[in-house]
Amino acid sequence: MTILSQLNSPVMYLICGGIIAFVALVCVFFMVRAWRAGVAIGMDKTKMKRAVVSSATFTVLPSVGILLGVIALAGSLGTPWPWLRLSVIGALHYETQVAEAAAEAAGLSGLNATEMTARAFTSIALLMGLCIMWGMILSIFFNKRYLKKLQTPKAGGPSSGGGFGDVAMTAMFIGLVSAYIGSYLGKFVSGEGLFTFAGPWLPLAVAAVAAAVMAVFVWLAEKKNAAWVESFSIAGSMIVAMAAAVVLNLL
Amino acid sequence: MNELDKKSLFEAYNERTHLFGRIACAITLVMLIGAPFVMGAYLGAMPDLAAVGRGFLACGIVWMVSCVAEYLVYTPMLGAGGGYLAFITGNLINMKIPCAMNARDMVDAKTGTPENEIISTLSIATSSLVTIVVLACGVVALIPLQPVLQSPVLQPAFDNVVPALFGAMAYKYYRGNMKIAVLPLLTMALLFVLVPSLTGSTSFMVLPSGAIAIGVAFLLHKKGSAK
Repeated sequence: MTILSQLNSPVMYLICGGIIAFVALVCVFFMVRAWRAGVAIGMDKTKMKRAVVSSATFTVLPSVGILLGVIALAGSLGTPWPWLRLSVIGALHYETQVAEAAAEAAGLSGLNATEMTARAFTSIALLMGLCIMWGMILSIFFNKRYLKKLQTPKAGGPSSGGGFGDVAMTAMFIGLVSAYIGSYLGKFVSGEGLFTFAGPWLPLAVAAVAAAVMAVFVWLAEKKNAAWVESFSIAGSMIVAMAAAVVLNLL
Repeated sequence: MNELDKKSLFEAYNERTHLFGRIACAITLVMLIGAPFVMGAYLGAMPDLAAVGRGFLACGIVWMVSCVAEYLVYTPMLGAGGGYLAFITGNLINMKIPCAMNARDMVDAKTGTPENEIISTLSIATSSLVTIVVLACGVVALIPLQPVLQSPVLQPAFDNVVPALFGAMAYKYYRGNMKIAVLPLLTMALLFVLVPSLTGSTSFMVLPSGAIAIGVAFLLHKKGSAK
């Protein structure tokens, strides 16, 4: 029995699938509680429904991207473990990097099936878990106090539910988006040498197409009173931009 | 139901959210760290703890710092329920944060309000479930799907999921907040152009970029002109 067939065995699927099933149940539990609490405090059900629909449509395409991460790692780690890691706790940009570093630490020349052993696999799996568990640990010990502190209005300051909190959250998100857009620009302009403009231009073009399509959706929602398009605007923009990537790449 | 009843009801809900969130995180943590040992028992090869220790010193410390920064920055955006779920299910920057922000803006929920907490939890839970379902379907159909998903023609589409996401989000957030966006965008663009090696650390660069944006927003807020 080869190492990959061992890593893809039903027992491995059972172990990983069991953990994923538990996390799915946790999500359902939290979702039902939140819905009931929302109804109990008099929130508009239509608003809650919109949040659920938009989140679902929003997630489909990035999830397909994450599925590619599973496929990429499945060649060396088998399918069940990457499936677990990318369904629970993991992050697409993180898993491949850490798996590669963990493989080197386990004595392999890199992440590949030919050198993989059962011992190397379990070591890599453990290291992948240890590296990224800190968000959960911090949540267990500090979430309650941290959020309480943030939500306590300062004397003389704006009360919760308005004020600078909202602006700060929006600003932080703008910072996040700016870092990524800036990185696409940097890769294009200096990716192949300072100011050579020979780096990859596709990410920048895709971002521009997505922004343009988003502008159309916003125009439809605001000027044509088609508010329903809002729920699908991000997913729609992404589909068109990703299709544009295929076309632009052929040019 | 009067406002006082609503408040006490929501506080009780929040208290239990922390309790259930902690329990869920602890159980998931035990399962994730325990899984390699369970698999090791099945495969007849336990993890090499010395190699794991070396690996952790080599790359784990960096990720630990990154996790701490992510926790500090994103927890206020996610709230209690959303926070626990997001840290359990992962994919924060490329999915959960934009998803929760989008849902929050769509229903115009304000930070720190019960409405924001409920919407954030619904959003993250939905997003996590959709990912779990898509990946489960994908794994079941892995053999027939593999040639399609890995076809060279479609590769540029899947390589550019994140630029597509951030392009759409950029328009949505920049259009009403250009005064806040200009400085971080220019600073980041300049930094990445002048020091291209930084593109390998984009997730770390979110911190200074966010700090600049918050600084600008604070100044504008003080002047009363922030949107």
